[in-house]
Amino acid sequence: MIRYQIGAVCALALAIAATVAGADTRLNSGEIATSLAAVSTSGKLDLTAAQMRQAVMDNIRNYPGALPPRALTFPQLANLAQFTVEINFNFNSAVIRPDSYRNVGAIADALHNPILLGYGFLVIGHTDSVGGRVYNVGLSQRRAEAVVAALVNPFGINPAVLQPIGMGEEQLRDPAHPTSGVNRRVQLINVGKKFCFGRAGEQFVCQ
Amino acid sequence: MIARLRPSIVLAAALLAVALLAGGIGGAAAQTMSYADAVDQLATACRADFAKYCKNVELGDGRLRACLDAHQNVVSPRCQQTRAMVYASIARRAAAQRDIGTICDADIERLCGTSHADAHLVECLVSVSPAAMSPACSQAFTDTGWRTEKAQQ
Repeated sequence: MIRYQIGAVCALALAIAATVAGADTRLNSGEIATSLAAVSTSGKLDLTAAQMRQAVMDNIRNYPGALPPRALTFPQLANLAQFTVEINFNFNSAVIRPDSYRNVGAIADALHNPILLGYGFLVIGHTDSVGGRVYNVGLSQRRAEAVVAALVNPFGINPAVLQPIGMGEEQLRDPAHPTSGVNRRVQLINVGKKFCFGRAGEQFVCQ
Repeated sequence: MIARLRPSIVLAAALLAVALLAGGIGGAAAQTMSYADAVDQLATACRADFAKYCKNVELGDGRLRACLDAHQNVVSPRCQQTRAMVYASIARRAAAQRDIGTICDADIERLCGTSHADAHLVECLVSVSPAAMSPACSQAFTDTGWRTEKAQQ
């Protein structure tokens, strides 16, 4: 009898594993690449990484509170091709958890797809609302940098086409459930053909 | 009788395991894996070893690889084998994606009458039969993963 119960538990565990694998399969690198390739801008983006970071800090100063009373928006980014990926990190840390390695690898597969050759991307880190807002900006910046570091080595993406930015909790995906896991994510935004980033986040034409 | 059969069953199982392993490594050499599959295999095979030896080590900046290298004598045999195969596949795919323009330059000129600029490279190479390509270009194109990616679209 006990043996049958163990068998049932194992079967349930396998079913859960299969569901998780199914969820992984849905994050398909071809889908990421296609979504990111739908470019709607022909000009240079009129927004630098430094201006975005400033806007994040301004939002915290001008709209204080435990939770952001007003979500930060960037009209310049609204029509750009983008894709959001859930990546799990160790708690209060920028270390990517092994269960999210596959998702980082899928981003690498997409960014290496020839249809995205020569495009520049913002890699925007978002946290949930646990922790202070200013602290979360720093944490999400370090997490975005950790994703960029992994895309560069081992996955061979050119670092000049990637710009990490920490958005903290200023753009919660589910403001009604600010501590929910759906808020913890990394967002890729295609900022246009042949735009690379300098050390200060300024854009220039690649090559 | 069963006791006498057992050693031969064990031997047969061991031989089968060796054959499967050799086939797996051979398969990886013939075709690189996607980065997602590669790193997922690593995460699965080395899960316990990560927790034991590389806890809080970053995937990026080559740090995870350095940690696995530093502990190669103590990690599980499965992790050790998978690590070698996975990093070889990643390096080979990245090199092919980086160098294919140079490797296939003459092929593209000969087969498509164009220079190898950007996405036209893939358009050209998927349109010709592998037999018409030079072996080095054909292998590099296979290693990029773009041949199969295109086929799936």
